[in-house]
Amino acid sequence: MEPISTVESLCPECLGKIGGIKYAENGQVYIKKECPDHGSFTTLISEDIGHYRQMEECFEVNRSRARASLTDVEKGCPFDCGLCPSHKQDTCLAVVEVTDRCDMGCAYCFASSSMDKSLDPDMETIRFMFETVKKCQNEPTCIQISGGEPTMRDDLPEIIRMGKEVGINHIELNTNGRRIASDQDYFDKIASAGIDAIYLGFDGVSDDIYMKRTGKKLFDIKSEVINRCEKAGIGVVLVPLVAKNYNLHEVGRIIEFAGSRVPTVRGVHFQPVFYSGRAPSGREGRITILELLREIEKQTRGQLKVENFTPSLMPHAHCGATCLTVIDSNGFLPLTNVSLGALKSASDVASKTKKSIMGRWRGSEKDAQKSSCGDLLIKSSCCEKPLSQLTVKGSCCEKPITDILPKNSRLGGGWADFIEMSRNSYLTISTMAFQDVWSYEKERVENCCIHVVTRDGRFVPFCNYNMTDCDGKFLYRNAT
Amino acid sequence: MDIKITEQADNLLKDNGVRKEEILDIIKNSESSGQKLKSKDGNTCIAKGASENLTIYAVYSASELLDVYTHKMNILGITGGEIKPVEYDDASDWICAKCGEVALERNVDMSYLGVTRPGPGLVCAKCGEMYVSAGMAKSTLKTAEAILEEKRA
Repeated sequence: MEPISTVESLCPECLGKIGGIKYAENGQVYIKKECPDHGSFTTLISEDIGHYRQMEECFEVNRSRARASLTDVEKGCPFDCGLCPSHKQDTCLAVVEVTDRCDMGCAYCFASSSMDKSLDPDMETIRFMFETVKKCQNEPTCIQISGGEPTMRDDLPEIIRMGKEVGINHIELNTNGRRIASDQDYFDKIASAGIDAIYLGFDGVSDDIYMKRTGKKLFDIKSEVINRCEKAGIGVVLVPLVAKNYNLHEVGRIIEFAGSRVPTVRGVHFQPVFYSGRAPSGREGRITILELLREIEKQTRGQLKVENFTPSLMPHAHCGATCLTVIDSNGFLPLTNVSLGALKSASDVASKTKKSIMGRWRGSEKDAQKSSCGDLLIKSSCCEKPLSQLTVKGSCCEKPITDILPKNSRLGGGWADFIEMSRNSYLTISTMAFQDVWSYEKERVENCCIHVVTRDGRFVPFCNYNMTDCDGKFLYRNAT
Repeated sequence: MDIKITEQADNLLKDNGVRKEEILDIIKNSESSGQKLKSKDGNTCIAKGASENLTIYAVYSASELLDVYTHKMNILGITGGEIKPVEYDDASDWICAKCGEVALERNVDMSYLGVTRPGPGLVCAKCGEMYVSAGMAKSTLKTAEAILEEKRA
């Protein structure tokens, strides 16, 4: 056993603060922690200490804190969320839950949704939540409308419009897609209210998968959502929950499907199952980031390799991994690789992540005219601009780069095609490992940039908000 | 040969990260070896040189540095491996000064950060020397390089 560091964690039984160690054994990384009352708990964190360390070496961000903290430090992390002054990271995505209701009844559900309409926040409360984001988050402001299933609300279009009125820059909608696929009129209203992207629950490309989780055949519904978004010029991110004995065998086909639907589909965001809220008993479904990446490598027949995934510009080296890939006629052409070394961060993590959310996950090309943060962001020495706004310094004049690119070179320049392909055939594949009470590390959550907005106007890091003890009792959700 | 570097040309050098001595060396070497492109009217030349991972081009007249451009891509060779006859007029406006041959507009394979694609180049059929035009380097290659570098940005 080779010790790596000490960790501050929580007891899965009583949610009390307990200490532990992170260590390597037989090349694998574990956290072992001990509660004086409930004994010791050991959790596998990574199958390969080499990969674990490589992700740390590759991770380098500058941080900026929130504009103002809203609570004081009393009991210490994670009990003072709001954010408290010891939180090290500003919000990059604020999650606003507009209902607890859901029409799906999934076997897995970190929110443990129910069906009581009277518990929905009213419009004034939601306005207050939006205004809180506008006040506390650094610009630009990004919100995800979530739940429950937000489309359970008939007034969702008005909620979106209100968010835009308050001045929120980017609003994406987390949805299972059922109402969008069946109610065109409702979708049109959401689209015209100004929704920027759809964050679509998408666990697989076969109905077997959906039957397992929901007892419903949903694949055609998911496809129809993408069709409708394509027509409306709204970008879609596919969001699969991933678990062993569930859909892990289908991750390659999900990526292939996503590739076939670019540019409407902007990315796939895999979320390994975490044991907060409602989940089947036992924890056999758990997978680590590395296990998922190895499956992706195997199932894409090596087109996307483990080494193509670099640490996401997120809270912490072990919270997520991202691969940017271009798709051409021969398949995937990944642009990222850990061997290229640490990211050179010119701006802080929250603003980078926001740019990524806004730039990549927004709409397709049709959308580019009406938005200054349209499509692919090209980084030049001093600024980030979409390709269509990038100018080239010539000896006598500056022109948009798209004007001087050879249009139909008789030589059929492959590099010109490459650029065209990069603009239209670009996929972001990412994964985020949310923490549950078993894997919890205070160091990770202190740096979290995804925050749920409570109805009384506080920000709670996502993993803390959904944290439950081993009996499903929440630390924050429903307690606020 | 005394080449004047105007303020404008100096700015171009700075933009491309090329030092004055470097560009003058490249011109000097080309002048002594004859390895350069010459415009048909004989008034303008293009010299090519390399420094660490960067290919540098100087466009100049007898008295003045007119333009500077660079690319990070590595030119691997003629696409397809050899120069085969084509149906279109592939003659460029440039002549290989060493061989006296008109340079041909042909695709060359260029590679950067693990990705290889063809792109138009200027090729001397006799000595096989390959150049990239200013337009190609400043627009297409620069953009492609930026896309490939985005991961490190």
